[in-house]
Amino acid sequence: MCMRCVELNRRSLLVGGGALAAASMTGVAQARIRPQDMVPLIGPGYRPTDADERGLWQLMDRVEEEISGSSLLIKDPAITAYLQQLIGTVGGPAAKDMRIYLARVPDFNAMMFPSGFSVVFSGLLLRMRSEAQLAGVIAHESGHFLRRHMIRSWRDTRRKSDILAIGSMVAGVAGGAAGVNTGDLSQLAQLGTILSLLRYSRQMEAEADAMSVKLLADNGYPAAEAAEVWEQLIGEMDASARYRRRRRERRWDLFTTHPSPESRTADIKASAAEVTVPGRTYNNHRQRYLATIGPIRQMLLDDQVKLNDPGASQFLIETLARDGWNGLLRFYEAEVWRLRNRAGDDARAAQGYAVAVAYPDAPPEAWRWHGLSLIKQGRQSEGRAALARYLSLNPAAPDAPFIQQMIS
Amino acid sequence: MNRKIKLVIAAAALALPLGGCASGAVGEGFSSHYALIGVRSVNVGDGSMAVTPPRPWNRQRARLFDDIRQVEDWTLNGPLLDGMSFVTGLRSGQYLIRQRRSEDRQVPKFRSDMTAPEVTAMLESLYRVRGGAVDFRTLSLTPRPFLGANGFQFDYEHLDTDELWRRGRAVGAVIDGRLYLILFDAARSHYYQNAIGDFEALVASARRRR
Repeated sequence: MCMRCVELNRRSLLVGGGALAAASMTGVAQARIRPQDMVPLIGPGYRPTDADERGLWQLMDRVEEEISGSSLLIKDPAITAYLQQLIGTVGGPAAKDMRIYLARVPDFNAMMFPSGFSVVFSGLLLRMRSEAQLAGVIAHESGHFLRRHMIRSWRDTRRKSDILAIGSMVAGVAGGAAGVNTGDLSQLAQLGTILSLLRYSRQMEAEADAMSVKLLADNGYPAAEAAEVWEQLIGEMDASARYRRRRRERRWDLFTTHPSPESRTADIKASAAEVTVPGRTYNNHRQRYLATIGPIRQMLLDDQVKLNDPGASQFLIETLARDGWNGLLRFYEAEVWRLRNRAGDDARAAQGYAVAVAYPDAPPEAWRWHGLSLIKQGRQSEGRAALARYLSLNPAAPDAPFIQQMIS
Repeated sequence: MNRKIKLVIAAAALALPLGGCASGAVGEGFSSHYALIGVRSVNVGDGSMAVTPPRPWNRQRARLFDDIRQVEDWTLNGPLLDGMSFVTGLRSGQYLIRQRRSEDRQVPKFRSDMTAPEVTAMLESLYRVRGGAVDFRTLSLTPRPFLGANGFQFDYEHLDTDELWRRGRAVGAVIDGRLYLILFDAARSHYYQNAIGDFEALVASARRRR
């Protein structure tokens, strides 16, 4: 939620909009928070003692039960174990108490719940270029928990806001958590409603940033990579907005309640320099990261590109390609153009597929679209050959009967 | 009752009727959204296709400012559970749904030179962009004649953010550069089986009107 706040979808905004507005925070610009000042406020095995916090935890237990049984979770054992191990590394004193869930949602998002469980969206895994970047996001979320931001924010919101509006939101949340599907909110929109109650102030975001830098460095990660996450996110949002000829700010309203991303990046870099010990070696574990998400990387790209947000998708692919082009990235680059479907994009996509199939690791689908493009250009025999190659690489393809007909 | 109305309104956004995404229609009753379709030959979409349902269905009324003339949506048990959509001669450069140019996620536009795999990719993006599908699987794509032309049959299933698996079948063809399509999409458990026979009857009865 803090990395990109929870992007409430239209449905939940309709329902929760009123209460949300009432709960908006006021931010005050302040100096950078130093990592060394970030002392965890909770230790291992923390349990709440105050009545309001106990109540919040009880509610969150029900939410967690709901989330852990969600069919939207990616349950790949290797990847979930990896994430659990990661939060167990950068989670500070509460590392062993925290749980982490991976939801299949193609958005850049990660969130920490008040009772110490975290939900990471699959779109985050697509966007991270190294384990250090991902660890930075997870450490940031852990920072919110370690600094008790949720209960502080909860108390603050309750003090400032229309108590009735909040009451009705909580009732809705509890209804959802208890499995009463009200039909007008998807489960994830309910997550958004819950988290909108717990919006963090700028001060809290700055604290979590400082905490994450410290946790990264303590565990041997290059802390400056936390700043890269932000730079990539800014770049992606600008690219998406530019494509639509809009300004980033007009849509990404989280920046009205969060520190400006540019100053945030600068602060993280300054903090990272502070905690970096000369002579110590830091490792971003990029290879380990890529090896772990390798089996689902195509799925992650597919989920993103098929949303047809050309500005963002193209920026993302180019960002990932900074570590080297491959057949998979070239194929999805062409897919962005095909789906964008502007004048000249068919030729651009056709060229893209031709480039992709030149890589030995091109996915079978690259041959499929290469073949279809060639046929559309009137290059029938080459097209048929490419389609035959597709079927030989993927004989069980669900569209094999149709493709077979095109070949014959 | 109130809850029922809300459900229908939300369902329209969630279950993705092609013709229009209901938004902010709070206060309108069930009856104003639907019209009964009897068991007889009816013209659908812009009137260029006629079909005969094997039992009564409910047509969702086109909405002012938010309708595509060539697209029409029906339902049997409400759009959360099942829906039938008709696309009748969509022209090149048109979209299946209304959308703002400023939206970051766009349903691709139809082009008259699209092949069946491209049409099905367009449908997949429609589900992902507007239907909230987080997982979308093509079950099969096979050749199938439709309206006397060389068409296709597309079978698929998708998991939506409301955690329900839905299954769909579309039969379509591009004729004279225009897209004709009948699409059935329903909750995978029970509702798909319940009305796939209706879909087949509709496809078999479909004819073009000039």
